[in-house]
Amino acid sequence: MLEFAVELFSDYTARTILLGAASLGVVSGVVGSYAVLRKQSLVGDVMSHAALPGIVLAFMIVGVKEQLPIFIGAALSAVLAVFVINLVTRNSRVKTDSAMGIALSVFFGLGLVLLTYVQRMPDANQAGLDKFLFGQAEALVEKDVLIIGLTGFFALLVVGLFWKEFKLLCFDPDFGGTMGFSMKSLDILVTAVIVSAIVIGLQTVGVVLMSSMLIAPAVAARQWTGTMGSMVILAAIIAAVSGVTGVALSAGFENVPTGPAVIVCVSVIAFFSVLFSPNGFFTLKLKDARSRREIKKDYVLKALHDLALEHDDPGYAHSERLLALGSEKGFSVKKSLWALRTAGYVESVGEDNWRLTQSGIREVKKLSPLEKDL
Amino acid sequence: MSGRGENPVAPAIRVTDLTVAYGDKTVLWDIDLEIPKGSMVAVVGPNGAGKTTLIKSIQGLLPRVAGVISIHGKSYEKQRKEVSYVPQRGSVDWDFPTSVVDTVKMGSYGDLGWIRRPGRKEHEKALGALEKVDMLEFAQRQISQLSGGQQQRVFLARALVQSASVYLLDEPFQGVDATTEKAIVTILKELVGGGKTVLAVHHDLNTVSEYYERIAILNVGLVASGRVEDVFNSENLMKAYGGKTSFFPERKAAKRAV
Repeated sequence: MLEFAVELFSDYTARTILLGAASLGVVSGVVGSYAVLRKQSLVGDVMSHAALPGIVLAFMIVGVKEQLPIFIGAALSAVLAVFVINLVTRNSRVKTDSAMGIALSVFFGLGLVLLTYVQRMPDANQAGLDKFLFGQAEALVEKDVLIIGLTGFFALLVVGLFWKEFKLLCFDPDFGGTMGFSMKSLDILVTAVIVSAIVIGLQTVGVVLMSSMLIAPAVAARQWTGTMGSMVILAAIIAAVSGVTGVALSAGFENVPTGPAVIVCVSVIAFFSVLFSPNGFFTLKLKDARSRREIKKDYVLKALHDLALEHDDPGYAHSERLLALGSEKGFSVKKSLWALRTAGYVESVGEDNWRLTQSGIREVKKLSPLEKDL
Repeated sequence: MSGRGENPVAPAIRVTDLTVAYGDKTVLWDIDLEIPKGSMVAVVGPNGAGKTTLIKSIQGLLPRVAGVISIHGKSYEKQRKEVSYVPQRGSVDWDFPTSVVDTVKMGSYGDLGWIRRPGRKEHEKALGALEKVDMLEFAQRQISQLSGGQQQRVFLARALVQSASVYLLDEPFQGVDATTEKAIVTILKELVGGGKTVLAVHHDLNTVSEYYERIAILNVGLVASGRVEDVFNSENLMKAYGGKTSFFPERKAAKRAV
């Protein structure tokens, strides 16, 4: 494994590819955070799928697999899809989610039809066009990485310059509008930045999975952080690490396309974050269980106190069964009693009888100061 | 203290012939309204009366079919910085990853203009505003951890940072605790005492006379506007709410007299 890694990093071609994957990761992590914060994750999904017909059409027009025309074609058809969504939702009773579903399937379907058609052409130029579906990082050359780097740089520059304006746009666009910032222009700017991230991800990750590269790192990062700045940075790191790992995986195993490999990595991180972060599913469940245990313990302690009061004898012992009677079904008194014994609040007398200790009586007093004295 | 662009004779807000429509539905119809400088004004009316629409279209957030808005005698566009806005608390996502002080700082973005970032001065100002709304200890807290009343205080602090002369508030008392309501009223009255103008969408007819000097009663058209003691009566409320309100100001006034 280590040997493989050393080989990967010392090889010039491999280094180029990894650099490309890492830069793509940084850009999509940062830009994707905006898609997620604006609750427009699905728009990213539509845009990346909608890039396909643009890619194929650009190829059909130019006749060769040249980068620039393909990028322009991809960007134009992605933007056109967003335009169609807006047009449909504004001028009909179709809701946004349906409009997005329609736009995605129409554009992607059209792209697949065109792709199938082009691939049947007798010419050999079109070979490899289908790699745009799932991405093929192995094919990245220096020039590609340069374009990824440059486009990414400009995307990040825009985000850096308009940091506070984008924050307004995401959090409270109406308020931003009253302060004289044009929310429409900012909306266009954010969309442009997202489209550029999608375009540079086409070769590496492919149109089908590019949206996950935007959304998953941002979702994962959100679980661990509480400010926009740290979220954006963490998303960039997560996406870059996933990009590099995915590319390495796809290089290490034969016939593993890069896109899926990268997405598996980023999804694992996202999944883990959603489950185990401080606000994650399991962490909350754990906290829940802990507080329920505490409450149960207090309840049992109080019940022992009440029984002792009834008998007017602090040392009066009661059986576990009796304690369980006063509580709802399935309520395990035993565990609470054991925990209380460990804490030194109760002691067992004989086989199955329990009573409060002096420190247990003090604890009850602390929990409910108005309790009668034993 | 006179604000940056105040014309001493012009009203703080003048709305002329304002009409707003969504599709084929008219939401506001031919509103003429004058809000004198230094007054505290309630906007009341039933659901769908266009109260929020009025607040938003004064600030050019909605396209208007017709109408002219002027603030201290000049067009709103020229007087943006004279107007502070407190939107409905529920209009934003409180799960957004940001801290209380950073949210309040947003009020200074307008003065900063494009690209420039808030610095030390803006931070101090935000802390000052938080102190005013008694939220200083929460400055570094995540906004997702705030209660409804605290959220509303943060929004008010953000508006205070704007240091404007006209305050537009959309239901500032919606879903807040009694202490917060009192605190907000006190701050608003202070603002008015200092010559500022406050216009707030208000729901609770019981507190109108206690909180406000003037009132605008709205139901698509403007039913009445003026001093509370002059126009806040059952006749006007019937006109605005139809039979759907059991609140009669005269009865309450009579009770108070007894």
